[in-house]
Amino acid sequence: MSKHAPAIKPADDPAFKLPASLSALSLPLCIGGVLVLIVGWLIATYGVEQPKFGMSAYLAAFMYCLTLVLGSLFFVMIQHLVRAGWSTVVRRIAELVMVMIVPMAVLFLPILVTLWTSDAALYRWDSPSFAQDNHLNEAMWANKTMWLSQDWFTVRACIYFAIWIGLAVYYFRGSVEQDETGERAATDRMQFWSGPAVMLFCGSMTFAMFDWVMSLAPMWFSTMFGVYLFAGAVLSAHCILAVAAYLLQQAGAMRDEVTVEHYHDLGKLIFGFITFWTYISFSQYLLIWYANIPEETEWLYHRQLGTWGTLSLVLVFLHWMLPFLGTMSMYVRRRPRWIFFWAFYVLVMHYIDIYWMVMPEAHAGVPGAHGSAGGALGVVASVLCVLGMVALIVGLVLRVASQTRIVAVRDPRLAESMAFENI
Amino acid sequence: MSDDKNEKKIHGIVAEFTTVDTLLAACRRVRDAGYTKTDAYTPFAVHGIDKALGIKPTVLPWLALAGGLTGTCTALAMQIWMNGINYPYIISGKPYVLSLPAFIPVAFELTILFASFCTFFGMWALNGLPRFSNPIFTDPRFDRVTDDRFFLYIDSKDKSFDAKGVEKLLGETGTEYINTVVDDDSPTTIPKFLIVGLCVLIGLSIIPALIVAKMRVTNSSEPRFHIFPDMDFSPARDAQQTTSLFADNRAMRPDVPGTVARGQVDADLDFLTGIDMDKFSQVDSDRAEHLVRTYLTPLAAEGEEPAAGADLPAEKSVMETTPWLDKNPVEVSEAVMLQGQEQFNIYCSVCHGMDGRGNGLVNQRAQKIMASTWVPPSSLHQDVLYSDQYPDGKLFNTISNGIRKMSGYAGQIKAKDRWAIVTYVRALQKSQNASMDLVPASEKAKVEKQKNKVDKQLKEAAEAERKKEEERAAKAAAQ
Repeated sequence: MSKHAPAIKPADDPAFKLPASLSALSLPLCIGGVLVLIVGWLIATYGVEQPKFGMSAYLAAFMYCLTLVLGSLFFVMIQHLVRAGWSTVVRRIAELVMVMIVPMAVLFLPILVTLWTSDAALYRWDSPSFAQDNHLNEAMWANKTMWLSQDWFTVRACIYFAIWIGLAVYYFRGSVEQDETGERAATDRMQFWSGPAVMLFCGSMTFAMFDWVMSLAPMWFSTMFGVYLFAGAVLSAHCILAVAAYLLQQAGAMRDEVTVEHYHDLGKLIFGFITFWTYISFSQYLLIWYANIPEETEWLYHRQLGTWGTLSLVLVFLHWMLPFLGTMSMYVRRRPRWIFFWAFYVLVMHYIDIYWMVMPEAHAGVPGAHGSAGGALGVVASVLCVLGMVALIVGLVLRVASQTRIVAVRDPRLAESMAFENI
Repeated sequence: MSDDKNEKKIHGIVAEFTTVDTLLAACRRVRDAGYTKTDAYTPFAVHGIDKALGIKPTVLPWLALAGGLTGTCTALAMQIWMNGINYPYIISGKPYVLSLPAFIPVAFELTILFASFCTFFGMWALNGLPRFSNPIFTDPRFDRVTDDRFFLYIDSKDKSFDAKGVEKLLGETGTEYINTVVDDDSPTTIPKFLIVGLCVLIGLSIIPALIVAKMRVTNSSEPRFHIFPDMDFSPARDAQQTTSLFADNRAMRPDVPGTVARGQVDADLDFLTGIDMDKFSQVDSDRAEHLVRTYLTPLAAEGEEPAAGADLPAEKSVMETTPWLDKNPVEVSEAVMLQGQEQFNIYCSVCHGMDGRGNGLVNQRAQKIMASTWVPPSSLHQDVLYSDQYPDGKLFNTISNGIRKMSGYAGQIKAKDRWAIVTYVRALQKSQNASMDLVPASEKAKVEKQKNKVDKQLKEAAEAERKKEEERAAKAAAQ
């Protein structure tokens, strides 16, 4: 190799510790995040004249954070599955994000509570008169309600979270314990379980997305919907890694470990998953557009009216085309600052994607409200919600990170990862 | 080095290394000494060797990008031209030119294809391939480059090449083996057996083509050869055939009871039949009741076509006694008129003609081939078909259920669109009898100009006809 094998620093080196400047942010971020989230939710609930707007804004924020967390979980599992060497230096960041599935389970409670306490506060199928109001065939609707019922919905949510928390805690604990023991077998063990873990994950993710996002429009269906959200989740997980690695390096940590080669690889993967996201979303659109059956086109039709139409075009040009062209060149990919910029940009676009999926359903049943986004106040409230929840999650990540390390210091593949070269 | 080597042309000097690290160190030395026409040969890809040898980034990505963009543009242009301009064909009711979603899969594929071609062939071109022989192959130890040895080569075409200097430089890099690469003295002619073999192969490959060519001009009494008989002779039944599969032996299945066409569930009976049902029940309660039953209780009407006149006896009196709606229930608007025109042009004009004079393309063709069973379609511009004698409801019924040889269009055209056609036909009839006063002033000049032109043409045609006639008469008289 051109370089001599890089020296691995001792496990207690400050380069592997969360910089004090960042760990100090943990508490303010948590408290501020909760406050902003509550304020955003209050404005959305009482400031916008649509009964479901408050919970929809909350759901959009929740889905945004959830996809980031699940994407990170998938990233960790797939690295074990393929025995990836390059990613070891950044894998711990993903591991820190993925354990946030525990607070996400707590944040899911408001959604469950509103489901049980009030009719159709978020999900329209929750209303006993839904079939009547929409002139649906009772027998057909009875089949749907076998799946979409409060009890079964709650049981399913418990199953999903049990799977995700189990996987996240298993992989997090395995990796953190290895920091102390340096046990090689831990890596083999985690790799052994990664195959079934990925299958469990993909199945549960697909059905969770059906339940929580697709069922907002109960009569609409797309078998691709789970994959669509999955694509966005994995894309944004890679973006988190790039953003977090850059910020950590700016703060002085892991400067020798993460090199331009890792940014290059993350840049390639971000580019690839932008394309994958486009591929999936376009495939979904093409099939619906071509068949042109009313019960399928309804969902997209509502997203072509008024503000939503503009937002759909924003997704085409700014979620796909601009970052696609932006991250295409190797010149950009080998410049961490540029990759940081594009990763951050994609993270913003990912929220718009989620917003575009969730928020149009907040107006369902409100006459004349289709095509509006709840006005400027509604947008502000939604943004406050997501900012608050992201701040809370980041604060918690920093808290966990300050108690452990930000690099898997005794992973057997760490040296390979540090010496990794693209060209 | 032996003497005879000096007589041959020197291509360059090669040095052998046993490890990657010594190779990379040597590469850097050679690069720093200012040599540019150099190359390194390794059994596997070595990271960082580009930099060590000072090789500039390749232009290949740009070729791939250019290829990809060419592919996208080619695919879009091809589809827009073929589907939208050269041979416009309605597919699933999508627009011709701007069916962008449908074009994207092909555009995507061609982007990938062209980008791959450009990458692949660009790589060949940039590497000077195909090249059947390289002088470096003459080096006796070079074979081990595919196994466990690394080689560094400096070409004699390099500006600063000087055999002594290069040997000295390479000697300092710790190599154990330096050799001068000379011309390959193996014969340059292609071996005879290869040429013969190639000729034989070409000869053999022509045989299938010859057989096909012969078959194409030969008659045979043998029946045609069927590779997939069940596809050539499909077991599927045609519409009017019988089958043992169903109890009623009909291959053509009736609608499932309760079937309702999209968008027709809420329409009232007057709208669907073109008959004033209130009056009808007074005039002929039996038939009215039957009609209501066929429409409203599809279970009872299984197998029966739910159409107004379907089971009415063809007696004239019945058609006349039916109280047809006098007024079109659809309000006239430009949108309705345009819709009617579109539907008329799609469904009616093939026989009745764009102008409704009964000379559509099908009629022209039938006249040309003198089809014996052909009943010429009616001109829509007859007194008996005007609204005072032929109520809108009756016209609607004719469109829905057909008349004489014309079949009903209820199955193909929605009720709303059939009423739109009625609207348009009325406008068409008016247009053929319109006086100049009805033409808006802004259009008058244009119409008059057109009229004069047509009049002149007609006059000329009549004149020519008359002259011909006269000539013929004169000729006949002369004989």
